[in-house]
Parts: sequence; C-alpha cells; structure tokens
Amino acid sequence: MQAEEFQHSIRPGLVIMLPRLMRFADLLVGAREEGTALLRRALQRMLAEEYRYQRGVALDVWAFGEIYRHWLGELREHVNPMGQVNIEDESFARLFGEEGDEIDTMTASFIGNLPPQQRLTLLLVYGERLDHTDAGRVLDVPAETIAVRLVRITAAFADQFGQDEDGNPDAFEALYPEEPTLS
Amino acid sequence: MTELSDELLVAYVDGQLERKQSRAVERVLEQDDVIARRVYALKNAHSRLEASFEAILAGEEAIVAPPEPQRPGFFVTWASAAKIGLAGAGLVAALALAIAGYGRPLVLPNFAGNRSDATEVEWTGSLPSTWQDDVARAQALLSRESLSVSPEGQANLDLIGFQLGQAVASGLKLPDLKSEGFRFIRGQLLRAGGEPVAQLLYLGSSGAPLALYAKKGEGAAEPEFKSYGAIGGVEWSDEGITYLLAGELDAPRLTLLADTIKKQADAPKPSALNAGKSADAPQAPERRPSVKQ
Repeated sequence: MQAEEFQHSIRPGLVIMLPRLMRFADLLVGAREEGTALLRRALQRMLAEEYRYQRGVALDVWAFGEIYRHWLGELREHVNPMGQVNIEDESFARLFGEEGDEIDTMTASFIGNLPPQQRLTLLLVYGERLDHTDAGRVLDVPAETIAVRLVRITAAFADQFGQDEDGNPDAFEALYPEEPTLS
Repeated sequence: MTELSDELLVAYVDGQLERKQSRAVERVLEQDDVIARRVYALKNAHSRLEASFEAILAGEEAIVAPPEPQRPGFFVTWASAAKIGLAGAGLVAALALAIAGYGRPLVLPNFAGNRSDATEVEWTGSLPSTWQDDVARAQALLSRESLSVSPEGQANLDLIGFQLGQAVASGLKLPDLKSEGFRFIRGQLLRAGGEPVAQLLYLGSSGAPLALYAKKGEGAAEPEFKSYGAIGGVEWSDEGITYLLAGELDAPRLTLLADTIKKQADAPKPSALNAGKSADAPQAPERRPSVKQ
C-alpha cells in the first residue's frame, strides 16, 4: 500500500484505536475469543466499505457503531437470534484486567448478566467517557435512552447489592468485606 | 416519607444536578433516612460500576499507552501508523498489521489470550498537542456552506487585517491568493491553548475552504507538510508568528501556496491585498475588535 493512500484512509485511525475496539467487542459479546472474532469480521467490513465513513464524524464513534451494527446483523441472521455467548463470571471478570486486577466477581457477575446493550452503555459512558449523545449514536438510540439505561442499571445494582430486607445501609459493605481488587 | 425518583437520585449521585437542586436533595437526605439509605446504595453502586469501567481503560493505558492517551481521533501521520504496525508482535500489532494492509486479504490468527503481548506495542495514537493539530481538527468541521453567509464587516479587509493583527501579532498580514485561484472570504479569531489564533478562509472555484491559521510563537522556518487524515497542512514560522495552511489539497499544491504566502509576508511592502491602503490603515478602534471568537 502506498503511503499516500494510507494517509487518506481510515486504516491509521483504526490501528490506533485497536485496543479500544477490542475491548468494545469483548464487552459486547462477553468473551474474549468471540469478541476478537467479531472484531475481525467487523474490521473486514469497515475496510471493504470504507467509503461509508463520513469525514468529520468521530472515527471512534463510527467504528464502535459499526461493530455494534455488525453484531446486530449477525444476530438477526442467526437461527436463534436471542442466543448469546454463555458468559462465565470468572472469565468475564478478566475482561476488566489481568489476573489479580480484575473486578470483584459480584460486580463482574452483575455486569456480565446485563443485556449487551446495557453493558456497552456502561463502557461508553463510564469507560470511554462519551457523552450521552455520542453513546446513543453508537447504539442507535436517543441520548435520553442512554440516561434511562444508566439509571436503571445503577438502581438494579443498588437493589441487588446495596440493601438488605431491612434497608440496612451496612449491608452493602457487608457484601464487600474487603476493598475491591480494582483501584 | 419524601418521594424522590431514582432518576433524580442517580442524577444527584452522578453530580448532574444544579447546585440548588443538589442542596434540595441534601436537605431531604438530612431528614429522611429511607431516602438517605437509597442514596447511599445508589452511590455505592454507581461508584463501583464507574470504577470498573474506568479501570478497563486505565489499565489499558498503563499497558499500551505510556504516558497518556487523549481520546484518539482519526488524525495520524503515516509515520506514526506505520510505526505501530511494525512495533510489536502481539495481538494488537498483528491486528494493526492486518488493518494496515500487510497481508491482504484480512486473515488474522486466533489471538485469544495473548493480550499481554500488547505491552510491546508503542502507542502512537496520542497526538502531539500543538495548536496546529487542534485547529486542523477544527478544519474538518468546515464546509463551503460554512462560508455561505459572510458578515458585512468582512468586506473591509484592512479592518479585518488590523483586528486580527492586533489580536495575534502586529506582523500578521492578509495574504492575497487570487493569483493562485483562491479568493478571501472571511477572517475570524479562534482560540487554542488559551491564546488567539487567526483564521483566514479562502475559497477556490470548487472544493472545501482553504484556511490559513496564524498564532504568535516560534517554530521551524521552513514549510513542512503534514497529513491530518484527508486534510493536508503546511506549517512554518516567520517573524514570531507560526502558521498552518490547511485544506483538502495535496502536498505540492499546499506547499506552493505556503511559499506564496511566505513571500508576501517577507515582502517589504504590505501584501497585495492591502497594497496602496496601508497608509490609510484604520486607527485603532477604541473598543476591542468585534471579530468573532
């Protein structure tokens, strides 16, 4: 490939953001191996249909959206469109860091059991620090939907771990006798 | 018991409420234990979720991108992109090589479980935070439509030149690029790194605008071409002003235009655009120039 051609394509941008794209794909499907495979297929399509990228659009938002739409497309073509990778809590926790650094299993289990769209909402807003509008662009939903999802997820997490039957505020801490392994 | 929705409480926990609203919630918390416990639980849940996802990228940055990455955009030089493609032997590098076109068609090995190899890859996505890079990004937002309405004051080139010169540097001149097929449309002030940047916009017979940016500062005197995605840019410095000429043009064309501008700036007489008018240059306005910022 000529340098001149390379300069004017989206390839350099994709190369740079590969770690982020990989994380996005991993979180989407909930497993590293399947995530890498999904990313590979999505990248092939992005590069083959590079002309669909509109200059001026943030490349990361576009690429995240492409991976998500590719996944949706594959899901729709699948015999069992509701079928998903069986997510194991332990391996899922490792998506958040190498051994010893991963998040506590309770949090990992909670996130792993969320619908993929909700997992991605958390990643885009809390991890990638996209605003609600851009996160909505990636996931093809209005910004308001992103806000609502965040409330529901947080409330559900609080319900699950934050309160015992008596509403004892110490119950949350009792579930976490030690600090989470992630700093 | 006071009824407060989770929506409101999560917004409070997330720091999205205005000060007055936050104070109102806090007053409720002081008086209502049930709400206080709910906020406590939401705050814990929120902080744990946020920390989990922050840690993903934080750990990644520590591994892949010392010392920092900003959110990378699509601007990257060929040299940088090639560097990342050739730097490592792990998953990221292999994917990078495949994307970069080394080994078409895109056939990738099974990389699962090899993420730690990413440590060998030098992160090249963090762009140098020069003002030229910043304004080149802004250039991507411009179109011909951006210039369809021109304020009346833009017709007074002397005034524009004077105003921009006052704001940026007195030696700044408005280049005349008519001979190169570009007519001046308007000038305005931008801001980068807290300092004023003059933006002079030109239109050719077709295509996107051509922009000359000027900012006070020192740099290399010789014009140097850089590519920012589809946008090309030529940088140089002259008499305490650093310039960036940016547009969707190739390197030879942009370099030629930069040479023309440089010659006009170096000429002892005012630029052709202002020829014959400098003696009547407007007096310094009493008020701050009303150029757009």
